[in-house]
Amino acid sequence: MSSARELDVGLGLLDHQLVDCKGRRCGNVDDLEVEGLRDGQPRVTAILVGPPVWKGRGWLGRLAAFIAPGGTVRVPWEEVERIDAAVHLRKTARELRLGRGDDRARRWVEWIPGS
Amino acid sequence: MSKVFQIALGILAAIGGFVDIGDLVFNVEAGATLGYQLLWVVVVGVVGIIVYSEMCGRVAAVSKRPVFDAIRERLGFGVGFGALVASQIVNLMTLAAEVGGVALALELLSGLPYRVLIVLGVAVLAVVIWVTPFEWIERIFGYGGLALLVFVVAAIKLHPDWGDVATGFVPHGTSSDKLVYAYFAVGLLGAAMTPYEVYFYSSGVVEEGWTPKDLGLNRTNAIIGYSLGGTLSLALMIGAAALFLPLGVEPQFIGTVALGAQVPLGTIGLLLALVGILFAVGGAAIDTCFSGAYNVAQFFGWEWGKGRRPSGAPRFTLAWMVLLFLALLVIMTGVDPVLVTEYAVIFSVVALPLTYIPILLVANDRAYMGQYVNGRLANALGLFYLVVILIVAVTAIPLMILTHQGQG
Repeated sequence: MSSARELDVGLGLLDHQLVDCKGRRCGNVDDLEVEGLRDGQPRVTAILVGPPVWKGRGWLGRLAAFIAPGGTVRVPWEEVERIDAAVHLRKTARELRLGRGDDRARRWVEWIPGS
Repeated sequence: MSKVFQIALGILAAIGGFVDIGDLVFNVEAGATLGYQLLWVVVVGVVGIIVYSEMCGRVAAVSKRPVFDAIRERLGFGVGFGALVASQIVNLMTLAAEVGGVALALELLSGLPYRVLIVLGVAVLAVVIWVTPFEWIERIFGYGGLALLVFVVAAIKLHPDWGDVATGFVPHGTSSDKLVYAYFAVGLLGAAMTPYEVYFYSSGVVEEGWTPKDLGLNRTNAIIGYSLGGTLSLALMIGAAALFLPLGVEPQFIGTVALGAQVPLGTIGLLLALVGILFAVGGAAIDTCFSGAYNVAQFFGWEWGKGRRPSGAPRFTLAWMVLLFLALLVIMTGVDPVLVTEYAVIFSVVALPLTYIPILLVANDRAYMGQYVNGRLANALGLFYLVVILIVAVTAIPLMILTHQGQG
């Protein structure tokens, strides 16, 4: 983000809803990629999404990661447009390879009349 | 439609929608076992659900966060996942109990075999969810549930000793078994403060795009809807105390609940009671089903919403379908719906703190809530109920075991 607004990444970013440029909900901020911890100037470089990331989120996270299928998706920080209640992205979910679970599940639903 | 008329309609639907199978079972059993002694607990429970429902609605309208978003943000993935699993187990048990209640009411109305009616009931619920716009679902089941008002008339017609009724609103020592008293108190609180109601309500607020402008409506809905709904709970308990306690009847069947209207009012009373139970419990089944789908979708960040076309939120749609199917399987085993209800309510009590602590935290966070953070009253009441919920959560299961579900 270009603004210098202070943001607690633990509370204000982690575990928040991701919304693509068309307003589609496409995952949560499961973890963050942070660089520069050693030189004392840490900055968030990417948002990480997907079951493998949950392994770093406590033993219940490891359990959930064990059960759920799917890979990790890395969303570069440049793709973040703005942050309010949700984290809004600059591109569509498809372009960022997010929300693929919903795309796959659609086949199970759309054959029913009225879907 | 004028605003006042709309609000009135909403309130009517809320009254009919307040009572679910947990309220039916616990209020009637408590009245039949302990008379009027626990009326005050219903009042405590109703104020509790008003406090937290208003808070959840306000958080949802201002911060655009439904309850499970707040849970994951505040508790993190690990503990949040634990809360999700716990709430889904409770949701499934509640849903199974409601489905069983629908089938039992249909059985008493039609005389057809119970298991056939379970399948029929679930099929009808699924079709109604699929084809009916949501506001109509709310109205159909809310207004149908208003038939339960027959229990208010019945309670008056049974000529309870109003002096005794009045003393029931004041907590006092009891000569009877203290553990049984405590068990029913815990169950009544759990039945009134069922968590699925706030999951459902707050998600609806986000979905309908409420803003701080709607906070007045949010408060009115919570206060009037729940307190009028609560009078139905009181009527059920008063009627049961006047009718069943002197006879020594322990209502173990949904049919016995309906007797509370049949004895004073005859066949028409029975019919209205059964129709009311059918709609109230059927509506609660739909709410519970959606709550489960909301929770899992919000926790994992999937697309969700009952206002969307099913293919617009496919995993959300699959989630409610799977839940409904699992509930069908559970209840088809022949397990007693009243027993499932008791377990569902008691376990929901254990899961309550995981729901309400994050909401209280978010409602106090100025970064999210701005000028709409909790005031002193909301915080005082919120903290009071948090203490109540924690005590109740710790004691619920031991009490259930020690009293053999209130049998003494």
